[in-house]
Amino acid sequence: MIYEKHYVWSILLRLYHWSLVSSIVALAITGFYINSPWTLTTLEGTGLYPMLTMRNIHGLAAYLFTAAILARLFLLLFGNRHERILDLLPVTPRNIRNMSTTLCSYSYLHDCHDEERLGHNVMAGIIYVLTIIVALFQMASGFYLRLPESVFWQKWGVTLFGTQQHARFEHHLLMWYFIIFAFIHIYLVIWNDLKHPDGITSSIFTGNKFRPRSIK
Amino acid sequence: MIDTAQSTDLDLQVDRRGFLKGCTMIAAALGISEAMIPKLVEAATSAQRPPVIWLHFQECTGCTESLLRASHPDIGRLILEIISLDYHETVMAAAGHQAEKSLHDTLDKYAGKFLCVVEGAIPTKDKGIYCKIAGRTAVDILAEVAPKAAAIIAIGSCASYGGIQAAAPNPTGAKGVKDLVSGTPVINIPGCPPNPISFLGTVLHYLTFNRLPVTDNLGRPLFAYGRKIHDHCERRAHFDEGRFAEQFGDFGHRNGYCLYKVGCKGPGTFSNCPSARFNDVDVWPVSAGHGCVGCTEPNFWDTMTPFYERLPNVQIPGTGGITDVDSAGKKILGFAAAAVGVHAAIGIGKKIIKGCDCKDDKKGGTNS
Repeated sequence: MIYEKHYVWSILLRLYHWSLVSSIVALAITGFYINSPWTLTTLEGTGLYPMLTMRNIHGLAAYLFTAAILARLFLLLFGNRHERILDLLPVTPRNIRNMSTTLCSYSYLHDCHDEERLGHNVMAGIIYVLTIIVALFQMASGFYLRLPESVFWQKWGVTLFGTQQHARFEHHLLMWYFIIFAFIHIYLVIWNDLKHPDGITSSIFTGNKFRPRSIK
Repeated sequence: MIDTAQSTDLDLQVDRRGFLKGCTMIAAALGISEAMIPKLVEAATSAQRPPVIWLHFQECTGCTESLLRASHPDIGRLILEIISLDYHETVMAAAGHQAEKSLHDTLDKYAGKFLCVVEGAIPTKDKGIYCKIAGRTAVDILAEVAPKAAAIIAIGSCASYGGIQAAAPNPTGAKGVKDLVSGTPVINIPGCPPNPISFLGTVLHYLTFNRLPVTDNLGRPLFAYGRKIHDHCERRAHFDEGRFAEQFGDFGHRNGYCLYKVGCKGPGTFSNCPSARFNDVDVWPVSAGHGCVGCTEPNFWDTMTPFYERLPNVQIPGTGGITDVDSAGKKILGFAAAAVGVHAAIGIGKKIIKGCDCKDDKKGGTNS
C-alpha cells in the first residue's frame, strides 16, 4: 500500500506539546520537593537556598505551563481543522463513528482502524479537553497559592477552592492527574504506533502523519 | 504595654504614658499614620463610650480569657474608659434577671448605636436547642440583637466560621455569625484564640473612624490578617535554605529550624502572629517550637488536620480507608499500570493465538 504524507500538527501545537511535557516534568519534580523536601541542609551560611531554588524553578515552569495552555486554548478555537475543539469531541456524526471504532479497537474487539482520520481519535480528544480543563484549575490554584495577597486571586481562589490549605490540597491532588495522564498517554501512543503505520509518534516531532494514498 | 510587664495581671493603674504607648502600638498594628495617634487617643478617651453587648454562645471563653490578658490597653481601661461593656456574662457584675435587664435596656436605649461582639458559634440544628441562655436559643438572641447593632464583631474562629463545633460532622449545625446575619456589618476576628491586639485594634478603628476596617474575602481585617504567617515568620530563612526539623526534639528542632516538615500550617494561614505576638512576652507558637495549626482559617479543624502532616488525608471512596494524598496517588498510578499491563497482555495474547492480527503488517513491506 502506498502511503502519503500529510501535514497535521502546526508548529504552535508541537511547541505547546513539548512545553507542556517539559513544564509538567519540572513542576512535578519541584512540586514533590516543595511538598516534602528530601534534602536537609545543616550547614549554615552557605547560601545554597535549595527550597528557594526549587520554588523559583516551579514558578518559571508554571509560567511555561500557563503559556502552553493558553496556546492550546487558542488552537482549540483558531487552529487547523485537526486542532480545533469540534474535531476533538463527539459532536459530529463522523466523530461519533470514530469513537465507537476507537472503543472497539482499544478493547481488541475488532481490528478496524479509522484510516481516513488524521487528527486525534475522539477518545483521546475527550481526554485532552478534560486535561485542558484540569490544567486551568491547576493554574488557578497555583496562582492563588503563589500570589496570596493579590485581591484578584484571593477572590477567585476563595470562590473556587476555599482557603489556601484547600487550594494546596487540590493543587497536589491534580498533580497526580497529570502523572497518571502522562503514563497512560505514553502507553497508548506506543500501542497505536505498534498497531497502525500512520507515524503517530514522529508526528509530534515533524507534524506529519501518514495514510494510504487511496483515501482522499 | 512594656510598663506592665512586671506588675500583676489585672493592673488598672496604667499611667497616661503607658496608655499612649498602647495607642501607638495599636496604631502600628493597624498600619495607620502616626499623625492619627492623637485622634486614636481622643477616640479612646472620649466621654461618649459606645455601649457594647458581648454575646456568648457555643464557646470555651478562651477568647475572653485571651482578652483579659491584653495590656494595650488592658481590660480594665477597655471596660471602664474606652467602651461601656453593658452585657458580658463572664465579667459583668450583674447576674440572672438583672443581667438580662441590662441587655434589654441597652437594646432599647442604644438601638442602632451599640457594638455587638459575638463569641462562639450558633447552633442551628433542631431549632437551635443546643445553646440556650435565659431560656432562649442562641439563634433567637442573635436575631434580636443583630439588627439593632451598629456593627458586629465576631471574635474567635467559632463566631467567625463555626470553629470546632462546626467541624465534621457538625452535630449541632453550628454556624458563624456571617452565615446568619444580613443587613448589619459583620467583621471576623478569627483565631483560637485571636490576638487581643487584633480585636482592640478593630474596636479602636471603629471608634476613631466610625466604620469597620477594610477586610479580605473571608471578612477579616486586612491590618491583622493581610499576610501569611509564613511570609513574616522568623524561621522563614531556614525554610528557604532547606533547614528543617524532621521531628520534634531532633537536631533541626533544637536548632530552631523551620517546622514545615512537622506540619506547620503557616504557609496557608493569614494572621499577624509573627509580628504582633502574644501576652506581651513576645512569644507565639512557632517561636516556642510548635508549628502553626492554622486557627485563623475557616474550618481549620477539618482542613488543617492532621496537625503534624503537610496536607489533609484522602478518603478512599467505598472503603472508608484514609490515606495521605501521595499514597493515594501512587495506588491509582499502580492501578493504571496494572490496567495497562493487562491491556498489553491481551493484545500480545491475541496476536499469539491468531497469528498476525493486523492487515497493515502483512502489506508492511510496501509502505512508502
